[in-house]
Amino acid sequence: MQDGVVLTTLDDFLNWGRKNSLWPMTFGLACCAIEMMATGASKYDLERFGAGAFMATPRRSDVMIVAGTVTLKMATRVKTLYEQMAEPKYVISMGSCANKGGPYWQHGYHVLKGVDEVVPVDVYVPGCPPRPESLIEGVMTLQKKIANERLLRNKCVKHA
Amino acid sequence: MLNQLVELINKNVPGANATAFIPEDTAKLDGSVTVEAAKILDIATWLRSNTEMPFNALHVISAVDYVEYFEVCYMFAHYDVENPREVILKVKLTDRVDPRLDSIVSVYPAANFQEREAFDMMGVRFNNHPDPRRILCPDDWVGFPLRKDYVYPKMYNGMEVFPDSKMNFEDREFKARQDLINKAQKAASVDEVQ
Repeated sequence: MQDGVVLTTLDDFLNWGRKNSLWPMTFGLACCAIEMMATGASKYDLERFGAGAFMATPRRSDVMIVAGTVTLKMATRVKTLYEQMAEPKYVISMGSCANKGGPYWQHGYHVLKGVDEVVPVDVYVPGCPPRPESLIEGVMTLQKKIANERLLRNKCVKHA
Repeated sequence: MLNQLVELINKNVPGANATAFIPEDTAKLDGSVTVEAAKILDIATWLRSNTEMPFNALHVISAVDYVEYFEVCYMFAHYDVENPREVILKVKLTDRVDPRLDSIVSVYPAANFQEREAFDMMGVRFNNHPDPRRILCPDDWVGFPLRKDYVYPKMYNGMEVFPDSKMNFEDREFKARQDLINKAQKAASVDEVQ
């Protein structure tokens, strides 16, 4: 009982810290990146949600927003970038192309049919491209998901 | 202008065999000059260096697949305040297996990336090109995507290009969709009769 109370509090504390400082990676692949930039700019201001600090390296970022068409040539690079990120790491798949190939679905010989073929995706944001409001909702959904995480219980209480 | 250019090319470059295509309605179609493929480097050198009708810029090189043969189109332009001009030069390549052409990078440096793209997408090889690599596709890509007889790859680097679990071609086919609409309309009309 005592452990439970302490661990829950620590979980909430960690989750609160994590969800309110989600640093995305500076990583745009196609036209969705324009909307991502607009989301980060002053009008929509992603920094209100703590996710406005676009990091220039995967080592310092928590969330990868896959914004745009993932070509087969780029897919191996996306995978490498994801592997370079430090835990905990999250992926937002933004736009139809990253979700499922988009307009390149039927005849796109060079396009990966969804970035979830190479990296695990946490939140899918539909749209072609999604409006900044959609991306903000995607970020908020990810924050809700992080708020419900119980990483410590899975790791520690199991062996207690 | 095209007739004059054809005369000049035939006079100055032996064996160029230039012919002009002048459409009836110039608002709809552009005129062009067709020349011998083997002489393209000589012609480009002459176009750049002559004094009668020079062309100081290369706009674009594009390759077209006409199933029986390939056609490579060059667009040359002359940037001049008093007398600007533009011409489309076409060469025909009948060899489908290994189409080859002389590179004009030594004359027009702008041809470098354009020729690489023509090679990448259509498989036209350029002799004496300084950097004959692919430009858009990965280096280990198989085939030339814009050819009419291109076969889509199934796998690339261990990634499935068209995963069965995500594909549902039948729904997307126009005819299938049309059949669905017809069926629904028929059902609706039967309902009305009853």
